[in-house]
Amino acid sequence: MAQDFKRTPEIENVIAELEVQRKKIASSKIQGWGAIILGITCFAIGSILSQAVIASIGFVSVVPGAIILFRISDSIKTYKHRFKQEVIGTALGSIHQNLVFDPENGISESEFINSQLFTTQPDRYHSEDLIAGKDEKTTFYFAEVHAEYKTETQTKNGKQVNWHDILKGIIFSADFNKNFNGVTVIRPKDFGSSIGAWFSKNIFSLGDKDIVQLENDYFNKNFVTYSTDQIEARYVLTPAMMDKISELNERSAYCVSLSFINSSVYIAFPLDNNYFEPPVFKTLLKADLLEEDMNILSFMLMIIKELDLNTRIWTKR
Amino acid sequence: MIYVAVIAIAVLLFGIGIYNSLISKKNQVANAFSAIDVMLKKRFDLLPNLVETVKQYMQYEGDTLTKITALRGKALGTNVSESDKIALDSEIGTAVKGLMVSVENYPDLKANQNFLNLQSTWTESEEQIAAARRNYNATVTTYNNAVMMFPGNMFAGMLGYQTMSVLEIAAAERENVSAKELFNQ
Repeated sequence: MAQDFKRTPEIENVIAELEVQRKKIASSKIQGWGAIILGITCFAIGSILSQAVIASIGFVSVVPGAIILFRISDSIKTYKHRFKQEVIGTALGSIHQNLVFDPENGISESEFINSQLFTTQPDRYHSEDLIAGKDEKTTFYFAEVHAEYKTETQTKNGKQVNWHDILKGIIFSADFNKNFNGVTVIRPKDFGSSIGAWFSKNIFSLGDKDIVQLENDYFNKNFVTYSTDQIEARYVLTPAMMDKISELNERSAYCVSLSFINSSVYIAFPLDNNYFEPPVFKTLLKADLLEEDMNILSFMLMIIKELDLNTRIWTKR
Repeated sequence: MIYVAVIAIAVLLFGIGIYNSLISKKNQVANAFSAIDVMLKKRFDLLPNLVETVKQYMQYEGDTLTKITALRGKALGTNVSESDKIALDSEIGTAVKGLMVSVENYPDLKANQNFLNLQSTWTESEEQIAAARRNYNATVTTYNNAVMMFPGNMFAGMLGYQTMSVLEIAAAERENVSAKELFNQ
């Protein structure tokens, strides 16, 4: 399904134009931040040595630095926009015909919550780079998501707010090939859920009744499965499907979470990188410019095949 | 004195908890079995429609169709034990599988929308039954664990609860149902 991305002369031209823009942005950033850092250093030294002149020079040099950064902010936006639309957009088209790239949009926060992939509600949420498409009979979409929750601790200097990741990565959603009414969620096994699963299995009546005890050892070792319907959970998670999910998990950098809800499957992949972004301090002219982006894209497109979602032998077409 | 009372109440509550849990586990097994029964009934209900649709096109499979109808009648009859019902379902499954293979010789039937719908529903019911059987086995395993492991085993002995056997899952059921293989499409 996915083909290798080939650089066309049109893309090469766009990349060459963007490279000029990138160089300007990079040098403005260096100048701006350089002036700010220099200014702060002078101000600090002047204050420590009680030298008003040095401190004033420092204070004054911060201002042009800030102006330079402010003035390039629009250029950065245009640069990013052109890169995403003209480079990534074209590359996507060359890999798969039915892909639509919408860099400004993502998966909504309400959909993130409704997917039930995570139990923690986000306090800060951002999603972008939505890619949607259809592969044979299966419609799908995925987007980058950064969901965080905050904790507040009281320190002697007042309240300190700390932000923690719920998910930084990609959420993939596809139309599932079987009909179901309930909700089945597969989450990575952590300490708390392991205890819940152990109680459910060994100490009767104390465990979570929604936990599904499955026959697949890999599955039980790595995940805890919850469902509103024990039979339906097994209808969705056939032995073959469990093997496929296990394989998918093995190929992922971190343990994935899945949910089967509203006739769709959602998969959350925690990732380290922010994909589909243009570099600022690295050249655009290197041969492997889009390698990581294309790898993650091919991985996402492979899921449908891997989970066999185009097999529509059941009543759902 | 008060400590003795607290300990006695705690032991009593613990005992009630274990006792109720054993009963609930046993009920869950019965429940899981009735779920298989419901699925089987659903599957058997598909057969008359399937036979009717197929009959119009298949001239040479009369024996198979009669056999399927007879097996269905037997399975839905009164006084059929649950294990017999499962055995009959397995026989019906094999017969229908054979029927589906011979569909290859009837191109008109293969193109019939009603037949295609029935085929999908049949495949779906096959996986639903497999899921219900796996659920039954999981509840039996939980029940057996409760009966055999401490402290449930003390109460199980008193209640006369014994371990139950799980349903044998056919090798074919452990694999995903493949329409291509099944119907040779």
